[in-house]
Amino acid sequence: MRWLPSLAAAVAVLAPAFAGAQTKIDFFFPVPVDGKLAREMARLTKTYNDSQKEVAVTAVYTGSYDDTKLKAQAAANAGKSPAVVLMSANFVLDLKIAGDIVSLEPMLKADGTTRARFLEDFWPAVQPNAVVDGDLYAVPFQNSTPLLYYNKEHFKEAGLDPEKPPRTWAELVDAAKKLTKADRMGFGLPEGYDYMGWMMQTLTMSNGGRYFNEDYGGEVYYDTPSMLGAAQLVEDLVFKHKVMQQGVVEGGALSTNFLAGKVSMMLLSTGSLSFVRENMKQPFGVAFVPRNVRNAVPIGGGSLVMFKGLSEEQKQAGWKFAKWLSSTETLGGWSRFTGYFSPRKSPYDTAEMKEFMTRNPEAKVALDQLPHAGPWFATYQTVAVRKALEDEIQAVLNGKKKAPQAIKDAQKNADALMKPYVDLTALRLP
Amino acid sequence: MTTIAAHASSPAALGQRRRPLRTRLARRTWPFLLLAPSLLMLAAFTYWPIVRVAWESLHDKPHGTRESLFVGLGNYSALFADKAFTQSVVNNLVYAAGTVPASMALALLFALALQRSTRFNAVVRALLLFPSMVPLVAAASLFFFIFLPGVGLLDHYLAKLGLRGANWLGDPDIALWSLIGITIWKNAGYYMLFYLAGLQTLPGDVLEAATIDGANGWQRLRHVIVPLLAPTTAFVLVIALINVLTQVDHVIVLTKGGPSNSTKLVLYYIFEQAHENFAAGKAAAASLLSVSFLLALSVVSLKTMERGAHAAS
Repeated sequence: MRWLPSLAAAVAVLAPAFAGAQTKIDFFFPVPVDGKLAREMARLTKTYNDSQKEVAVTAVYTGSYDDTKLKAQAAANAGKSPAVVLMSANFVLDLKIAGDIVSLEPMLKADGTTRARFLEDFWPAVQPNAVVDGDLYAVPFQNSTPLLYYNKEHFKEAGLDPEKPPRTWAELVDAAKKLTKADRMGFGLPEGYDYMGWMMQTLTMSNGGRYFNEDYGGEVYYDTPSMLGAAQLVEDLVFKHKVMQQGVVEGGALSTNFLAGKVSMMLLSTGSLSFVRENMKQPFGVAFVPRNVRNAVPIGGGSLVMFKGLSEEQKQAGWKFAKWLSSTETLGGWSRFTGYFSPRKSPYDTAEMKEFMTRNPEAKVALDQLPHAGPWFATYQTVAVRKALEDEIQAVLNGKKKAPQAIKDAQKNADALMKPYVDLTALRLP
Repeated sequence: MTTIAAHASSPAALGQRRRPLRTRLARRTWPFLLLAPSLLMLAAFTYWPIVRVAWESLHDKPHGTRESLFVGLGNYSALFADKAFTQSVVNNLVYAAGTVPASMALALLFALALQRSTRFNAVVRALLLFPSMVPLVAAASLFFFIFLPGVGLLDHYLAKLGLRGANWLGDPDIALWSLIGITIWKNAGYYMLFYLAGLQTLPGDVLEAATIDGANGWQRLRHVIVPLLAPTTAFVLVIALINVLTQVDHVIVLTKGGPSNSTKLVLYYIFEQAHENFAAGKAAAASLLSVSFLLALSVVSLKTMERGAHAAS
C-alpha cells in the first residue's frame, strides 16, 4: 500500500491546479487490517474532491491507529497539522488533555446548530467518546462491538442446538464444557494488549459494572465486585472448568484457532465478521455476548478529530469534509463495505441497508446488540491505565496470580497513574 | 596510521613558516570545508538530537499541563522507581545473555564447518545466511505462524513427535525465550560471515606448526584458532551487543512487551513512555542512559580490539 499516499498526493496536486481559491487540507486515516479499505477511502476522498471546488483533500494512509496518532502529532509539531484525522475513539480524551485537538463547538455554533441537535442521529453508545468535559471534540465514524462467534458444526457434535447459542455465563460455561475435547478448547478470548482491556470491559459490563467513569477521566472501577466476577470467570474458565487455553492468546492467534476448528466459541469484534465469513469453512453463528447480570457491551472504533495549528480556512475546510464523511450516505456505504456499524441511525432506514441486512443476518445480530452498548473506556493515560489491568489479568491467565489479588493490584497501579490528573482536577480544592 | 600522518604533516609544518597568514588559514579551513557536508549532516541528525535528548531528560511536561519545567534529575529517579523500567533492564540482560553467547558460538561452529570453499559448502552458507537477509519485521511475522498455540508449525511438528507444545508467546516464563530463539536464528548466520572472513586470514604456518607439535583438533581450536580469532570475536561481540539494545521489531510485532511485561526490552519501554504515556522526559532519560551505554561499549571495545589486533599480529 506504499503507493497510496503518492497516488493521493498526485490526485491532490492535479485536481486543484486549475482552481484559484481552493483550500488544501490533509486527512490522515488508519486501516487496522485490510488493504481493500485503504483503496475505498482513497476513492471516497476523490469523490469528495470531484464533487466541489472549494476544498482539496489529500488522503494520507498512516498505518495503524497508534501510528496515526504518532504521525498526526509529529505533523502538528512540525507545523503541518492534518485538518482531519480518523482516530481511535478512546484516544480522544487523552488528545484533548494533551491539547492536541480542537473543540468542534465553534463550528457547530457557526452552523447554527447545537451539540445535542448534531448528535441526535448518533447511537447513544457512541456519543460519550466524542464529548469531553461537555464539549464536542470528535465525530464518530466507524464502530464495532464484541460478539460471540460459535462453530455450529461443533454444537451439533456436542449435542447442543446450533440455533440456541448460550445467553448467560452459566450456559456459556456449560456449553464450553461439552465442546471441549482433547485437541479442542470450548471457548477463547483475545488476550493481547488492547483487546484484553476491551474484553474485561465487556465482561464487567455484562456483570453489571462500568469499568470507568464516563464523565470524568480520573476514575476506573477495577477493584469492584463486578470486575472481581469478571476476573474470576476468566480464571475459572482456564483453571476450574478447563475450557480455555492457559496463558495469553492474541486476537490473531484466537481467530486462526477458531477458523481451524481448534476453538469452538470466542468473543471477537464485529469488525472481524467479514474476515471470519470469508475464511471459515464450517458453518458458524454469532450471538449477543452472554450476560451474568445484564446484556451490555462496550463500543470500539474510530472517530474524526481536528488537530490544533490549522488556519481558519483549513479549519472550515476540514469541518466541511468531516461533515461530508459523516453524512448518512457516506456512513451507510462505508458500513456496508467494511462491516463496521454506522454510528448514525439514519443509514439503517435506507433501502440499501435494509436489503444488506436481509442478506447478512449476522450483521443484524450486531445491530440488535447496539441498544445494549455503552461507551469505550477512556481515561487520563488511557493506554497505561488499561495496561495496569491487562498485565494483572494476563498474570491470572498464566496462574501467577489469583483474581482477587490481581484486581486489587490493578486498581492500585491505575490510581497511581491517574494521580497527577486527579490532583489537578477533582482534588484541587479552594 | 599515526606514522603516515606524521610523515605527511612534516613538509607542511616546514612550509608553514614561510607562507603568509592567509594561506595558512586557508590550509586549516580547507579540510573542514571538505568535511562540511558530512559534519553538517552528523550535527543535524546525530549530535543535535543527542543534545536535545539530554536537555529533554532534565525537563518534564506532565500530561495535562502546558509548561515544560526543569526537574533536574527527577526523570532519572522516576525511571528507577518505575518497576516496568527495572524489569525491562532485567529482561534486556537476560535477552543479551540468551542471544549473544549462543549465536556467536553457533556462528563460529558454522564457520569452522564451512570454511573450505566447496560447492556444497557454498550452498549451506547461503542457507545459513538467509535468515539474516530477511528483515526482522518480516521474520517476526513469519514466526507468528510458527508460534501459534495449537495450530502453529512448531506445535504441529511437536504433536507428530507426541509432544504437547507450550503457549510460546503467551506464557511469561517462555515468551522472552521464544524471542531469544528468533534472534539466534536470525543472527547466527550473519556473525558466521565475520568468522569465515576471520578464518581466511589465519596464518597457515602457525596451524601447521601446532599440527606438527602433535596438537589434536580440539587443542588446535582451543589454543590456536580461538585466540587468533580474538579481534573478530571482539568485533562480533560489539555488533551483537548493539543489536541487543537497538532491535525490537519482533517485540512490536509479536508481543508488544507482554504478557505481563515479560518481553519488554528497554527500547520498547522508551517507545511506550514517549508515544503511549505522554512521558517524553522519562523516555529521554532512558534514551540517554542507553546511548551512554552504547557509547561506553564502543569506546571500550574499540580499545580492546586495537589491543587484540596488536596481540594477534
